[in-house]
Amino acid sequence: MTRRKFIRKLIKAGSVIVLGTSWPVRKAVPRKFVRAIRLEKYPGHLRPLRDISKPSKWSG
Amino acid sequence: MKVQCELCPKLCLIEPGQSGECRVRINIDGVLRSVVYGFPCSVSPYDPVEKKPLFHFLPGTRILSIATVGCNLHCQNCQNWEISQANPEESTAAFLPPERLVELAKKNNYLSIAYTYSEPIIFYEYTYDCAKLARQANIRNVLVTAGYINEQPWKRLLEYVDAANIDLKFISEDLYWRICSGTLKPVQNSLIAAKASGIHVEVTNLIIPTLNDKPEQIRELCRWVKTNMGSETPLHFSRFFPQYQMRHLPPTSPKTLDMGREIAISEGLNYVYIGNILSKEGQNTYCPGCKELLIERSGYTILQNRVKDGCCPKCSKEIYGVWR
Repeated sequence: MTRRKFIRKLIKAGSVIVLGTSWPVRKAVPRKFVRAIRLEKYPGHLRPLRDISKPSKWSG
Repeated sequence: MKVQCELCPKLCLIEPGQSGECRVRINIDGVLRSVVYGFPCSVSPYDPVEKKPLFHFLPGTRILSIATVGCNLHCQNCQNWEISQANPEESTAAFLPPERLVELAKKNNYLSIAYTYSEPIIFYEYTYDCAKLARQANIRNVLVTAGYINEQPWKRLLEYVDAANIDLKFISEDLYWRICSGTLKPVQNSLIAAKASGIHVEVTNLIIPTLNDKPEQIRELCRWVKTNMGSETPLHFSRFFPQYQMRHLPPTSPKTLDMGREIAISEGLNYVYIGNILSKEGQNTYCPGCKELLIERSGYTILQNRVKDGCCPKCSKEIYGVWR
């Protein structure tokens, strides 16, 4: 094997390793957020504003 | 794919379909979503600003107060645990996007909006967008918060905030952790950053029997406030009532609250108040220069306000606050 062929094989093998490991690494590293994106639908019960707009029993 | 929420110091790592500790920031398909944006569970048009408590900010005015469910702390003594520790799925809310909230405030001539009751930090995006719109409409923004947030989002939010009442619950890392599942340092950083940003800041400390009612603990807290925030920062000692997971402790005695106030004054704090209880002296504002009575209160009611253009009418000393 010539030196040129050997280097080519080495580069190919290296690329396979890098590509093969980057996918699971990307999956494992969490995406980071400060701001959250609004969800259009409220998961709880919705009421008209007048039903929740009253003297507050909450502290603060 | 997991997401990490970097809003508060908890830095929750959230699995798909799960929420962070606050219950309202959820990982949906690898994206962090706020499920409470535009959905307050409480909107109160009747609160006096003194209830927040803010004693040096537009006294005697009403403040439109909103909250969503959720909180990033889990204080065993929480007075509003029914909303702060609620799951959004089991809660009731109204649809009130920022434009409609500001419209409502304008229509009813409110001078300010309070983001309060639970924890405005966990409905950060809603608070931020409402505050930005309110500022454009010349309406002031008030946060009532535990200050448990990371520096970068906090500073960004403060750009649109006019005043804040921030809880300094304990002056001990151990108690913050054991009672609230939080830590002290980020709260101290938030207090310092808020004061440095130039907004109006008042501090509240709830005195809980057997936990933080010893004179040396109160003294340490007062010294910290004075050194890091200045002697002009109003400090409110609030009375504890048995609530939530802390029903085994008695309410704070009026004597302990008076003692706290005396310690704070002896440490050089100029404006020290007692809350959650009727107290004659402990709710009035006196001039730190000539000791003249400036604002007389009974509960949340202003009996007289003698502050003139932000100054004492007798000795002309400037009084810390936002007076108009």
